[in-house]
Amino acid sequence: MDVNIVQIVLVFIVTFIAAIDQFDFLESLYQPIVTGAVIGAILGDLNTGLVVGGTYQLMTIGNMPIGGAQPPNAVIGGIMAAVFACTLDNVDPNAAVALAIPFAMLGQYGVTLFFTVRAPLLEFFRGCAENADTKGITKWTIISEIILGCIFAVIVTMFFVAGQAVGQQVVDAIPEWLNTGLSAAGNMMKFVGFAILLKIMMNRDMWGFFFMGFGLALIASNTPAISGPALLILTLIGFGIAFWDFQQQTELKGAVSDGGDFSDGI
Amino acid sequence: MASKTEFEVPAQYEDLTPAPNVDQKTLNRMALRSCWLQSSFNYETMQSGGWLFAMIPGLEKVHTNKKDLAASMYHNLDFINTHPFLVTFVMGIVLALEQNKVDTQTIRAVRISAASPLGGIGDALFWLTLVPITAGITSNMAIDGNLAAPIIFLLIFNVCQFALRFGLMNWSYRVGTAAIDALTANMQAFTRAASILGVFVVGALTVTMGTTQINLTIPNGTTRGLSAQTIVVSNEEAENFADLAIDTETADAGAMGVTDMDGNPLTAADADGNAVETGIVDLGNGMSSVTYGTVTESPVSYSVASTLDSVLPKLVPLAMVMLLYFLFAKKNFTPIKGIILLLIIGIVGALPLGEWFPFMSWYTGLW
Repeated sequence: MDVNIVQIVLVFIVTFIAAIDQFDFLESLYQPIVTGAVIGAILGDLNTGLVVGGTYQLMTIGNMPIGGAQPPNAVIGGIMAAVFACTLDNVDPNAAVALAIPFAMLGQYGVTLFFTVRAPLLEFFRGCAENADTKGITKWTIISEIILGCIFAVIVTMFFVAGQAVGQQVVDAIPEWLNTGLSAAGNMMKFVGFAILLKIMMNRDMWGFFFMGFGLALIASNTPAISGPALLILTLIGFGIAFWDFQQQTELKGAVSDGGDFSDGI
Repeated sequence: MASKTEFEVPAQYEDLTPAPNVDQKTLNRMALRSCWLQSSFNYETMQSGGWLFAMIPGLEKVHTNKKDLAASMYHNLDFINTHPFLVTFVMGIVLALEQNKVDTQTIRAVRISAASPLGGIGDALFWLTLVPITAGITSNMAIDGNLAAPIIFLLIFNVCQFALRFGLMNWSYRVGTAAIDALTANMQAFTRAASILGVFVVGALTVTMGTTQINLTIPNGTTRGLSAQTIVVSNEEAENFADLAIDTETADAGAMGVTDMDGNPLTAADADGNAVETGIVDLGNGMSSVTYGTVTESPVSYSVASTLDSVLPKLVPLAMVMLLYFLFAKKNFTPIKGIILLLIIGIVGALPLGEWFPFMSWYTGLW
């Protein structure tokens, strides 16, 4: 597939915005479900973009910038997956996601490195603060964001322009079984996200709730009438359980502190 | 920067007169600016640059003394790491303290202690609850090619985000330091409840989104059967069929027969799978209807998927999630390692061993 200059410029702009948005602004424009559709529209295949964006999004659920940790970069990964799915032949969305993983990991290392080397920038902020220069803070905030946006946009645009000629050759050289394997692996990636969520939330006394969600979902998804909105229905049930638990916990606490009014709230 | 002397933040501001309350417009500006909290994120002071950028409208209002403003701006560049969507909660409290010209030491302590625990609560609210649910629902819509998916996702996410940003900004500013107690009093129960909903939803997602299945079928010998055919022939020709006997146990596939070796009729399956008896029926018009059986031999395969499903549907996704949980929680696996492991599983499972090794010709790959 040929790309024209307009598409290259648009990819550059989209990446620039997404790179900034991944940490600031709406912090949602950068999500693959959005960038996938946008890149798809730019490259003339909105539907493929949507599908690959949704696929990548599922993988990143839970695999998010939690507690300062850097997951594989969803901006580069999401955009590259959409680029691969839209420009290369014989690449299904799952395989495109798998192909984009190395780029996302590269992005992750890049971000880590960037956060390290950006520390000296704080000196400019301190200089402005000493002089109560509020305009200066705004200026350096903008400069800081433009640097971030440009780094991402240049890298992704390079991959986009150079990568797809090379990319198609690579894809043609991939044997059928490897494609199947990559596709299967891409399909499994969401389990990484799920497991990380569990790791963060799970206490030993919470496995029951996990299995309850699993069991009820099996029932709901195999009941044709409600299999569509199954997740929403299940969330309502889960909310009821969580809310009940919250009441139990706080009532218990209230009862305890009622009896200990004069002992420093113990 | 050894040559430069470190700026010293005074213990107290020069102007100790509490400033009047800031107006709503200023609070709104702060809430909007809070979107840029991580604009200069770095590993040294994390969000400090963006935090100061967001605080500036309020600080300008409460510190009319320029030296106080400088001191305040400088100590607002302290290390801070809080949740981007809940940061306005801390901003309101800190602004209330700044406005009352509290000792700088106190402001710094309150800021770091109010900011830090919000990370977990915000992760529980956003990355672990709101995003998985909205992204989970809308991803499936997107995979079905529904253009509304990204729009719905953005709408839900940003309505929640901005409701929280503006709501917390106003609320925490009004309540001031008391708000810390209000939230931390039930913080544990709140985090627990959010986690319960979270693990419940992840359990459900494992079913609704886990599609991995072992699609391996293993050939398991053959099964013999008799398929029934019925033809109408003249009575003379029907005679020829009458003593067409076969031994259904030993006859080759394709052999035909009307009776077994003892002359008894056979039971065969017709095209619909119903059992019919073989034999010759005189139709009374010089023709006979002959029903005979043909020995068939069809391969039988053992499907791993249907066996697993009969144990528990979605067993493979469940096992993989739990395996990964075990690796992450107990074996200190990083997410990258988990992803690499899945790539290896995916590729190894798809290896065309059946083509490579003659003795494994039955093997068609796991996926």
